[in-house]
Amino acid sequence: MSKKIITPVASLAHILPEDYRDLVDRGPHGKSVGIKDLGSFKEITEEHPHCAGCGVSLGVRLALAALPAPEDTLVVGTPGCSFFALSQTALNYSNTAFGNQNSVASGLKRMLSIRYPDKDKDVVVMAGDGGIADIGLDMTLHSWFRGEKISTIMLDNEVYGNTGGQESGMSPEGQVLHMAPKGKNFKKIPVFEMARTAGCVYGAKVTIASPKRLGMAVNRAILLARELGPTYIQIYTPCPTNMKFSPADTLRIAKEAGRAHYAFEEFMTEEAAGRIAAMEGGQEVQED
Amino acid sequence: MYLSVRVDTEKCIGCKICITSCPEPNVFIFLPEQKLVEVNESRCKACGLCTTTCPKDALSIS
Repeated sequence: MSKKIITPVASLAHILPEDYRDLVDRGPHGKSVGIKDLGSFKEITEEHPHCAGCGVSLGVRLALAALPAPEDTLVVGTPGCSFFALSQTALNYSNTAFGNQNSVASGLKRMLSIRYPDKDKDVVVMAGDGGIADIGLDMTLHSWFRGEKISTIMLDNEVYGNTGGQESGMSPEGQVLHMAPKGKNFKKIPVFEMARTAGCVYGAKVTIASPKRLGMAVNRAILLARELGPTYIQIYTPCPTNMKFSPADTLRIAKEAGRAHYAFEEFMTEEAAGRIAAMEGGQEVQED
Repeated sequence: MYLSVRVDTEKCIGCKICITSCPEPNVFIFLPEQKLVEVNESRCKACGLCTTTCPKDALSIS
């Protein structure tokens, strides 16, 4: 995972794909770029097969643009909608059996800290609500109980998007979906509150309609996970295909959710609050 | 015939809101000198999210 591996030999540069050369010349590796610089550098996210207007792909794109050190980051994912974009990204990516992402990430983090004792290698779990809250809930919770130094990012589209729109544990109560023709009859799983109890040092709940806050939360979560312990972020990423709204309405739906059940929320331990104050110098992020 | 987003260069003020609202990577390229955005049309899926967020109505799907 050296930064040098992405630099091609000059005599072979002309046979490499244009995208690759672009990534070497204008990529974010080794520079401190963030969401505010989008559009002026080549993103590590590549062309992906997500539907038009997909909230998950916007969430993935913004979260990856906010990584503090993309060249030293390993992303672990699980099957679902999120891995379509993640597997086509210029990043170290590992796919796992459904629900195992936090166990695999724990092992990888321990291995990387033995192999590179002097470097900070960030291991980030990025998975959907099915992978984290339904099938992988025990693995996720146990990685938090053990205090593994990994960041977990949930891309919550409130539905099983990849398999055609079935009810998920994170769907809101009363939502009519496949496998829930009369409306879902229990509440959303409170993973955010569980993260606080299970020992996460930092947690945030954001929507894709507030990119600056999303970037700030991802940055804080990854930097705190390097030193203190597990961190958790829950990003609301509405799905136009299965929730049956127009692709152009994704951000409007996300904004409405941000005013209702997905209002911006953060928790942190006292130690984490002290580190954040030292890192950011008391800057507040305002969203327009 | 493919659909794609077009930028009206007279209305665009370079606020970059469209760049953070687009689910596709590398579609919008920001030109800092002209304070404008440029579109890579071959990557656009014409979902229309950027047109709903543009404060100056400079973007249209056509």
